[in-house]
Amino acid sequence: MSSIMQYNGAAIIAMAGKDCIAIASDKRYGIRNQTMGCQMKKIFQVGDKTFVGLTGLATDMQTLDQKFRFRSNMYRLREEREMSTEAFANMVTSLLYEHRFGPYFCEPIVAGLGGEDGKSPFLCGMDLLGAQVRTEDFMVGGDCTEALYGLCESMYRPDLGPDELFEVIAQCLLSGVDRDCLAGWGCVVHVLTPEGVTTRDLKGRMD
Amino acid sequence: MLPSSAPLHEALGLGGFNFDNTRRNQVLGAQGVAAPRVKKTGTTIVGVVYKDGVVLGADTRATEGETVCDKNCEKIHYIADNIWCCGAGTSADTEATTQLVSSQIELHRLATGKAPRTITALTMLKRKLFQYQGNISAALVLGGFDCNGPSLYTVYPHGSTDSLPYVTMGSGSLAAMAVFEAEYKDAMSVEEAKALVQAAIMSGINNDLGSGGSVDMLVINKDGNTVLRNVVRPNERKFRKAGGYSFPKGTAKVLTQTFTPLSSLPIDVTTTRSPAAMEVG
Amino acid sequence: MASALDYTLPVGAHGTGAADRLAPQLLDAAPMLPDPSERCPGVEKHVRMLHGTTTLAFKYQGGVVVAVDSRASAGAYIASQTVKKVIEINPFLLGTMAGGAADCSYWERYLGMRCRMFELDQKKRISVAAASKILSNITHSYKGYGLSMGTMICGWDESGPQIYYVDSDGDRLHHHLFSVGSGSTFAYGVLDTGYRYDLTKDEALALAQRSIFAATYRDAYSGGTVRVYHIDQKGWQRMSETDSMELYFKFRQEKA
Repeated sequence: MSSIMQYNGAAIIAMAGKDCIAIASDKRYGIRNQTMGCQMKKIFQVGDKTFVGLTGLATDMQTLDQKFRFRSNMYRLREEREMSTEAFANMVTSLLYEHRFGPYFCEPIVAGLGGEDGKSPFLCGMDLLGAQVRTEDFMVGGDCTEALYGLCESMYRPDLGPDELFEVIAQCLLSGVDRDCLAGWGCVVHVLTPEGVTTRDLKGRMD
Repeated sequence: MLPSSAPLHEALGLGGFNFDNTRRNQVLGAQGVAAPRVKKTGTTIVGVVYKDGVVLGADTRATEGETVCDKNCEKIHYIADNIWCCGAGTSADTEATTQLVSSQIELHRLATGKAPRTITALTMLKRKLFQYQGNISAALVLGGFDCNGPSLYTVYPHGSTDSLPYVTMGSGSLAAMAVFEAEYKDAMSVEEAKALVQAAIMSGINNDLGSGGSVDMLVINKDGNTVLRNVVRPNERKFRKAGGYSFPKGTAKVLTQTFTPLSSLPIDVTTTRSPAAMEVG
Repeated sequence: MASALDYTLPVGAHGTGAADRLAPQLLDAAPMLPDPSERCPGVEKHVRMLHGTTTLAFKYQGGVVVAVDSRASAGAYIASQTVKKVIEINPFLLGTMAGGAADCSYWERYLGMRCRMFELDQKKRISVAAASKILSNITHSYKGYGLSMGTMICGWDESGPQIYYVDSDGDRLHHHLFSVGSGSTFAYGVLDTGYRYDLTKDEALALAQRSIFAATYRDAYSGGTVRVYHIDQKGWQRMSETDSMELYFKFRQEKA
């Protein structure tokens, strides 16, 4: 019995560095074994300092992105300020838990900068019911998490600068998707610093 | 709730469960598609009453299938300053249920102007779980200290409860209960109680595959609570490569690169909220 | 359910004619035989190995071209990117692998032995038709037992270039062009578009490579290296082994 999480396929990693975070995904859009495209957006920016990476069923990923945008825009209009990354993560949790008995088949990873100084990394993963896992180092998601956990556990180092962090997350993701049939076909990495977002497309295997 | 009212319901931020996807998911299930794994806490959680209060204990492993997805999660949840609750079962359920009861207890405290009682939290929890007929899979150990002294309860997912001097829950409950049955005494000192809880959790960590990580404890007595996070860390990683791996700049081949400066909206801090606004929680 | 250990496979040593030797009550029991992948949990990861594959072979005026990918998968996990899916049975015969890796390699090795026995006995090389018939007799005698193979037996004999498709259902087909595996539809797309009988040797090799590449790109379970073989009257030759990533960026540049 195939899992719904392997219907479209995805791999996402988020990592915390020193005053920066990086979040990376593969770009494959597939339906079971058939690769339909390799430009798929799986990481969504919500506000300035918050990213959410979505893995799972593609239709639910896109529905959830729209719901997240709706809620964070409403928050901005009502409160006249940006939603903090932590508040966003809690909003995602409550939205997912609302659907406890008919869940979205989607596992989000929230990453951003926050805290008093506005540059402390915040990382949070969730299961499809919204149970949070908060970490200070890295978070992985998708259908090759075993491989990604192993790579990140050995290659991650704390307090990396944005450039070093990029190289580490890129190697973890590229190596991870090379062991997964359903993810890959190019990767994209966002590195968020208090100054801005650097987005890089990576060269990867196309098989 | 009717599906047609769902958008309005959502826009208004009204609570309650939403069943919009339920039918779709049933159809997918009937087509032989397996639902994803959910995060569970295959857990060891315990509680013991001692002379002046209650000690709660928990391990820190959360699993997703056979993967350990959190090595150091917090399973002792806050209900009120004098009431805490250990959770086992589906993570999302224990988390959401305790948070909900915590906020109800806080509103109750504000309404009555009295310190909340453990039995109130217990009743709220069991009503909620009974209402959902076991579909909310939260197995809880509730401990507190109120005007009636220390009290300790277990709550099962179907809503049944127990009041006992020493309790264990979760997949490691047998391992932990073995320690309690052998070592428990009435009217222990706080140090004795802490040592006993620690031994019980260690027994769960060492003998139950679903439990692991570190030992978390919490003491509640008439003076308030003491959180003892990660008091024992028997599973620290010892085999990390010295210096780690480093990759020279340019290891990953970049096809395109763009930089977007942050365009922060000017944050207006002078809100309409009065300086004396009430802070909750 | 009876213990997994209670079950023993009721067949003779060499497989050929195994069905003849089965007692009637065993034949009755045949539909109830346990699915080998359910005998021990997790074993399907190994038994189902190589289910994702793309292989192809076609005849043209210069002989036969055989091309394969090199990925072995277990579920979504990539077990290997460097599998050899062309089995060199003897200097004039090639077999391709799709399905169970162990089934294919064991029975094609066994086929190699049978072909050599034929040569020693008859003082002449075995025809592709006869060789493929030996294999299909085996797969037919084990039909329903859980073998998993989809193979093309390709070679050059007295009647010229030949390709036979043999699979674990007992099928044996003779044609001039086949593609087998989960990526075969993608390979057919390119192959059928570019195929002509009068292709030059270079064109034929390029077409085979391009077809397997298309499958590695579109099919999740195919990938790794594209290996191309050529067979003519002097026997088979290994022509190229190219990483599909290299091919992707080469083809993309050619397009730009």
